[in-house]
Amino acid sequence: MSLKRSLSTVGISGFALSALLVLTVLNIIIQNIPRNIQTAGGELLKLNEKDGVANAVTTVVVYFRGFDTLGEIAVLFIASLGVGLMLHVKCQKDIKRESNFMLQTASRYLFPVILLFGIYIMVYGHLSPGGGFQGGVVIASGVLLLLISHKKFEVPYSVIVTLETLAGVSYVFIGLIGLMVLDTFLGNFIPQDVSQMGMLISGGIIPVIYIIVGIKVGSEMSHIAQNLIQRADYV
Amino acid sequence: MFDFFNQSEVIKTIVVLGSMALFFVGLFGLLTRKHIIRIFMSIAIMESSVFLLFIGLSFKSDFIAPIIDKTHKNIAIMNDPIPQAMILTAIVIAMAVLALGVSFAIEYYKLTGRTDIDEMKSLRY
Amino acid sequence: MSSVLFVALPLLFGFATPLLSRLGKDAVAYASVAMQLFLLCLSFYLLESVSLHVEIISIAPPLGISFVLNSVSLLFVTVFIFLTTLFSFYCLSHRETGSYENETKFLILLNMLLASSAGLVLSSDIFNIYVFFEIAGISAYILSAYRKTPSALEAGLKYLLTGAVASVFLVFAIVLIYLNIGSLNLAVIAQSFEALPFNVKLLISILLFIGFGFKVEIFPLNFWVTDVYQGSSSLVNALFSGIVAKAYLFVFFHIVYLFLPDGDFSAFLIYLGAVSMLVAEIAGLKQTNLKRLFAYSSLGQVALIFTAFALQNEDAVQGALFIVIAHSFAKLIIFLVLAFIEKEYESIHIDILKELNAPFLRAVLLIAMLSLLGIPLFAGFVGKLLVLKSLAVSGMLGVLVMIVIASLFEAVYYFKLAGYMFSKGERRGALHVGFIQKSVFALLVILLIVIGVAPFILSGFLGEASRVMLDSANYITVILGG
Repeated sequence: MSLKRSLSTVGISGFALSALLVLTVLNIIIQNIPRNIQTAGGELLKLNEKDGVANAVTTVVVYFRGFDTLGEIAVLFIASLGVGLMLHVKCQKDIKRESNFMLQTASRYLFPVILLFGIYIMVYGHLSPGGGFQGGVVIASGVLLLLISHKKFEVPYSVIVTLETLAGVSYVFIGLIGLMVLDTFLGNFIPQDVSQMGMLISGGIIPVIYIIVGIKVGSEMSHIAQNLIQRADYV
Repeated sequence: MFDFFNQSEVIKTIVVLGSMALFFVGLFGLLTRKHIIRIFMSIAIMESSVFLLFIGLSFKSDFIAPIIDKTHKNIAIMNDPIPQAMILTAIVIAMAVLALGVSFAIEYYKLTGRTDIDEMKSLRY
Repeated sequence: MSSVLFVALPLLFGFATPLLSRLGKDAVAYASVAMQLFLLCLSFYLLESVSLHVEIISIAPPLGISFVLNSVSLLFVTVFIFLTTLFSFYCLSHRETGSYENETKFLILLNMLLASSAGLVLSSDIFNIYVFFEIAGISAYILSAYRKTPSALEAGLKYLLTGAVASVFLVFAIVLIYLNIGSLNLAVIAQSFEALPFNVKLLISILLFIGFGFKVEIFPLNFWVTDVYQGSSSLVNALFSGIVAKAYLFVFFHIVYLFLPDGDFSAFLIYLGAVSMLVAEIAGLKQTNLKRLFAYSSLGQVALIFTAFALQNEDAVQGALFIVIAHSFAKLIIFLVLAFIEKEYESIHIDILKELNAPFLRAVLLIAMLSLLGIPLFAGFVGKLLVLKSLAVSGMLGVLVMIVIASLFEAVYYFKLAGYMFSKGERRGALHVGFIQKSVFALLVILLIVIGVAPFILSGFLGEASRVMLDSANYITVILGG
């Protein structure tokens, strides 16, 4: 479209949006700043002292709102399925470019360290900031490093499928076992001791679920990254 | 002078102004840009601004992180864990949807060579 | 027998399928149908023994998530599972090569759609509802773009863009709700919503309206619907208009009844619904593409259901529930027939109806269209009558006139289609309709006729369901006290 029309569109929408901006901002500021309400977080922190693990955010993500986490890994699963459906190309020989010498050497040494770091974040997610999502993403970034630095590297599809299927199925099974034993889906059926809080083995099903989530997230993000990279030069 | 900026009202005003400005930058990009990848970037900017707003407004600066330790046991001064958990979930979901959208755009570009949403009119009657 | 199984079992099946498919493609299709039949039996069993029941997930509400099983949510869940089972049976009969309906990815997406629609209807926590919105949305985007043709990809892209923008506004609304009220449980929010200052309430309501409005297909925000329906395959359209749209409508009005129990904005919503219906039916008049035409018809019917729910009294909601059932059945029939025509004749233009040589399909299409119009003796009549009666009683004659005019427009193009179908002229070779497909259509048509002729079978249950849906105070008490 002509320059004048595009300028006037930009001008009018910019003006309208900045007017909206000012109004919304004033609204939120006036209403929110003096507010100090008692949120549900305080109650959950008290509950966490008895039933949870040291990292209260992990307890909330995995246990108190575990169903949201289940839904979220379902979203990731479907997204990775969709990316595979759209971008998968059958015969892919010599698609990627050869990368330079520094990247090839450095990635070979960095990858185990990144992998270890990701596993550490995943396993210690209930004791310090971290957890399954964060650890899984770190592992996937290590895989991404290998993907861009080595021409022939590819995570075999069967490995990814096995990992993500087993992880997903075991998450729902843990929920169903909780349903059978405790009559609440995703209830904490492994007996745990409050005095163990701060130790690696504590919190019942919480570290188990977070490791499952980490495996699933890591494998799915690697799958998405692999599909996107393998189409980068082939479009 | 820095004591003035340390007050919680001032911090909250800055957070609100910044994230709302980011939100409207994203909204402006969504409405005026034509390239499909730029539209996805604008949506990502809008989502990031909402997350920033949430975390910024529910953060109390004199409280500590919600992790129970040998030295930190007082839960009355711990920050709220619910916003952090919600934002974790929302970030992953937003990223998954965007990855899917980008893959649609790549496949569409491969089939038709178009990236301009004004040219995606094959479905008008 | 818990209601979590309605969500957990399809999720489990979806997660397990990539490995299960190593056992064979057919095994997965049969397993999927078997699981859906099991869920259907479970829902009928729960229908016998239903009372208001709160299912706790992880910890008790209001701190945790819970599923509330009452007559209206069980009604919706049963309808969704029934439609999905019939759809799976229909797909089982399409097992020749080149068809994608029984590919494992399609089955996974179908089951995820079922799980998320059931979860939307049952859940009582606003963030959980958002997560289910995303699951349903992402499955729908991929289903829409499944065939990977340029028009399918374009439909998928448009759907994804509007869905992502709607999600941003919805997250913004949830953020503001949590910052001002401090809880994510619908009952707690409903209790404190009245007491909020006016401009916060207005801001949250506007954001919720924009966020939900994209999905509920209401007038200014439904520009994407017809393009998406035209680009996707007709099988997928059957799922969208039969299952997904109804789940979104239910969630929207559930939240409206909880947050605004005194009917504050109902006049605005009623007029908006009526205008949507009028605009949709007028736009449908000059369509020549069958998928697009029925997409406009879907928009009109969804707007009618929207108006009926917005009236917020018992008769209107009962009528809305009747129309939900009738519309879902009828649109499933219509889009499955369209899928059949598209596959056999490779054309979806309106003139193809003149050449359609399958008397069974023509009869089935005719009955479905008559039911959508609201002709007496078919299921659509009861619902429309209840809605129009409720409008007349409450004195909103302008809205009544708008709905009647819109129905007249709809009748015009349906009779045009019927004229094409039964016209004299050159026809192509006879189509062979398989046994399973015939029985699926026959079952739906029989149900439409039975409900139309004898609505008293359902009206007791639907009356109770509408009372339960409108009774927000009871809902809040059950969650917080139970």
